Amino acid sequence: MSIPLVLNRKNRILLAELTKTDFKLRYQGSILGYLWALLRPLMMFAILYIVFAKLLKIGSDIPHYPVYLLCGTTMWSFFTECTSQGIQAIVNRGDLLRKISFPKYIVVVSATLTAVINMLINLVVVIIFALINGVTPTWSWLIAIPAILQLYLLSLGIAFLLGSINVKYRDITSIWEVFIQALFYAVPIIYPLSMVASTSQLAAKILLINPLSQAIQDIRFGIITHETITTWNYLDNIFFSFIPVCITLTILVIGAITFRKKSKFFAEEV
Amino acid sequence: MKRPIGTRTEVNTNSDIAISVVNLHKSFKLPTEQAFGLKQAIFNRLRGIKGYKEQKVLKGLTFNIKKGEFIGIVGRNGSGKSTLLKILAGIYYPEKGEITINGTLVPFIELGVGFNPELTGRENVYMNGALLGFSNDEMDKMYDDIWDFAELKDFQDQKLKNYSSGMQVRLAFSIAIRAKGDILLLDEVLAVGDAAFQQKCTDYFAQLKNEDQTVILVTHSMDNVRRFCDRAILIDDGRIIIDGDPSTVADAYTKLWQ
Repeated sequence: MSIPLVLNRKNRILLAELTKTDFKLRYQGSILGYLWALLRPLMMFAILYIVFAKLLKIGSDIPHYPVYLLCGTTMWSFFTECTSQGIQAIVNRGDLLRKISFPKYIVVVSATLTAVINMLINLVVVIIFALINGVTPTWSWLIAIPAILQLYLLSLGIAFLLGSINVKYRDITSIWEVFIQALFYAVPIIYPLSMVASTSQLAAKILLINPLSQAIQDIRFGIITHETITTWNYLDNIFFSFIPVCITLTILVIGAITFRKKSKFFAEEV
Repeated sequence: MKRPIGTRTEVNTNSDIAISVVNLHKSFKLPTEQAFGLKQAIFNRLRGIKGYKEQKVLKGLTFNIKKGEFIGIVGRNGSGKSTLLKILAGIYYPEKGEITINGTLVPFIELGVGFNPELTGRENVYMNGALLGFSNDEMDKMYDDIWDFAELKDFQDQKLKNYSSGMQVRLAFSIAIRAKGDILLLDEVLAVGDAAFQQKCTDYFAQLKNEDQTVILVTHSMDNVRRFCDRAILIDDGRIIIDGDPSTVADAYTKLWQ
């Protein structure tokens, strides 16, 4: 069997055009248009900032806390958008699948690429806010690159895995929506991990094993402050830091294999 | 789930056979009750109910198509014509049997695949072109020709939802005929449109025939079968009834009702 992940010319053209169309359609008919890609996460950030940082006074011990929070919500939005769009991609593009033959993963990747574009725009905002807030640029900003890549691969793996089940059992969409709400509180975004650590170190370590927490903490460590708790400066054994990375790769591989196996039947089942 | 054991291979050789199909079978699982959703699936599993019934659509088709042949495939609704075409196109997998495609194949299962009503005519042209494998540069070059041929130049920046259905078909057709491949699959795409459009379709067929293009045309129009096809295949209930001379097939097709 040939490896389907080869992006030949025809597939590249298709991927680019589908991504462009997805992005255009997302903000179709709204007055502010593409600005919403910026406004939505900023508004979510404003709400969280007022409730948690101002009213509940969380995070006063962390330097540059507002940017720290914004960075977390940006990456979280990226993850939720990537997964929920990716999971529904096959069903949403059912009309194409039934009428032309092309590698099905293109549809999933194009749906997640829209989320990548949104995230990159927002990352620029995070960096501008960080600079305004007095964060000095250093080489450690580069740590964010592999961490963001890992976050993307994790989302892609989930999208492949759940997306291929979602074709037959549409319940997955609803289940994932609820699950992701619960997951939000299990990832240190609105609360700093140091707050958990001051009550229970074990709980903090368990939360950190989650690849989502690990990736977001790594990004914060890189861009915002070295006082961020990360797997490599907090877990007892350096080998434990590989667990989240292994989880990510396992999900990606299982997702890709499942998707490949089921994709033959998509045209008939969707 | 039973694993498919049929194969579909694409090759590129000098052999004069464009498509070879050997003992092709295909069946679909049709849900007997509301079997979509996790709850029903679990219930059915527990009660030992399959939750679907197997519908055999193709029951062993064997035929060859030579390069340069214009083949008509005819048959009643539900006889398996479209399923056959979709398997040839690689959209459905073959359940049993061997298919060999020699050369590049361009399928038109429907005109205007990927057309989105919220996008402008211009954007839709590029999208549809990408689905046919054309890059932006290639589309730029043929862009004006597409609109001239469709006679819709004044509408190119309107959203597609403001087009009438006839205009949409004209635009889609105008893009589709740019596609170049060794084998063309046409599935009743041309059963719509007004007299002027029908004339354009007829001209297009004549042009394909002149160019000795390999074409597989699924149609209900016996006029087209008689006029353009070198050979025709009549399919009924998933089996080939006649494979041969177009006028014999056209007569047999008409007799299916009598």
